[in-house]
Amino acid sequence: MAACVGNSCIPGETLQEERQESSDIRKVVLGDGLRCNIVASSEEHSLPVITKNGILRRRKPNIYYVDSYQKRYIPSKNDSVIGIVTTKTLDFFWVDINASEPAALSYLAFEGATKKNRPEINVGDLVFCKVVLAHPDLEPELVCVDSTGKKGNLGQLNDGIMFSCSINLVRKVLNEKCRLLHLLSKETPFELVAGINGRIWVNSNSLRKTILLRDTILKAEHTPYEEMSNIVNDFATELTGIP
Amino acid sequence: MDNKTDPIVCFPGDRLCTSNENTIPGNGTYERLGYIYSSLAGIVETKTEDKNTIISVVTSGNKTNLPIVGDVVTARVEIVNQRFAKCSVICIGDMLLNRPLRGILRKEDVRATDIDRVEMYKNYRPNDIILAKIIPQIEIHTYSLSTAENELGVVIASARGLATSSNTYIPVPMVPISWSEMQCPNTLVKEPRKVAKIMSENALAKQQ
Repeated sequence: MAACVGNSCIPGETLQEERQESSDIRKVVLGDGLRCNIVASSEEHSLPVITKNGILRRRKPNIYYVDSYQKRYIPSKNDSVIGIVTTKTLDFFWVDINASEPAALSYLAFEGATKKNRPEINVGDLVFCKVVLAHPDLEPELVCVDSTGKKGNLGQLNDGIMFSCSINLVRKVLNEKCRLLHLLSKETPFELVAGINGRIWVNSNSLRKTILLRDTILKAEHTPYEEMSNIVNDFATELTGIP
Repeated sequence: MDNKTDPIVCFPGDRLCTSNENTIPGNGTYERLGYIYSSLAGIVETKTEDKNTIISVVTSGNKTNLPIVGDVVTARVEIVNQRFAKCSVICIGDMLLNRPLRGILRKEDVRATDIDRVEMYKNYRPNDIILAKIIPQIEIHTYSLSTAENELGVVIASARGLATSSNTYIPVPMVPISWSEMQCPNTLVKEPRKVAKIMSENALAKQQ
């Protein structure tokens, strides 16, 4: 069972790639959904095995990964995520980031925070933060400040609506090829924060508009890039009430 | 009443006798406020040895061996945190325990030098087998462990991911390449660990 790049694949298939007649040894990077079982004792060349359902993709020159529909977030370093503060302990907040474990956000990881000057964040608040430590066996760690100590666009999110969606939708919305946000911004001003953990937060000057924006973004999941303008037109029609 | 043929059965908390300078509380008993009490359920046994009487309680079934401060124990790391690693103690010295005990290895007790900058994840990972020493307890029901010596640390560890030998899913143990790194023989992946300095028995015998 061999899988080809660009086609859908299921777990158990092996990745067979065309061997090119180049003399240099090619190093292949296996991304998400691929695993290699290297057996030192056997003579044959061990092939990577696919472990997820999805479409096998290749990013040139040598990165292979499986693009699958995913709702669960697996923390990874340098991701920007939206979290919900669940508990306050002595030194840090426990933040739920839609991963298998809650993440720790230290009180000192905010701009201008000192031991005496604690951030004014309470249980239930939304925070946009960055993952600094993520290992498979360890609880993830977050910060609300960049490496220079500045807040940037991280920190608490007030008002607006946060909704959950699949990881794929977030990546689609953030993709340059997807013109959804660009087209929406022409219709109406709004604020949007996309957390790569499958959470998006929108805010605008009226609640009705915010809800319509949310619905439009959720519709975009199953809309191809070319038809984005259609759903934006639907949004505009709903907003003004004029067909 | 013939005391020698009737065995005295006792329960934990039973008061056995008064304690004076000739009585020694033995296994399964403890002394408190002038009396000797039993801490196990079993039969009371007395042994006299030059004026001193040793009073102990003998139980049927397996004796639970508990480690004391200073014992070197073998433990498996269960959970790793930024601040500590929770382990389950499986052997005391050479002796395998019939049920595992809980142990905690704090960040400050991982090594002897530079303890503020220890990163637990770079020293221990879940499922590592380690040698550790028992230090005075801090938490109840949990033994405190320390690996702040060269001979203590990770003995057996396997690499993360599918590092197996052929088609059987038995994890392959990593080979130490320095005091702080181990390498998997199959995938050649290097992982940081605090490696224990295990001396082979021949080397130890030659030393002595």
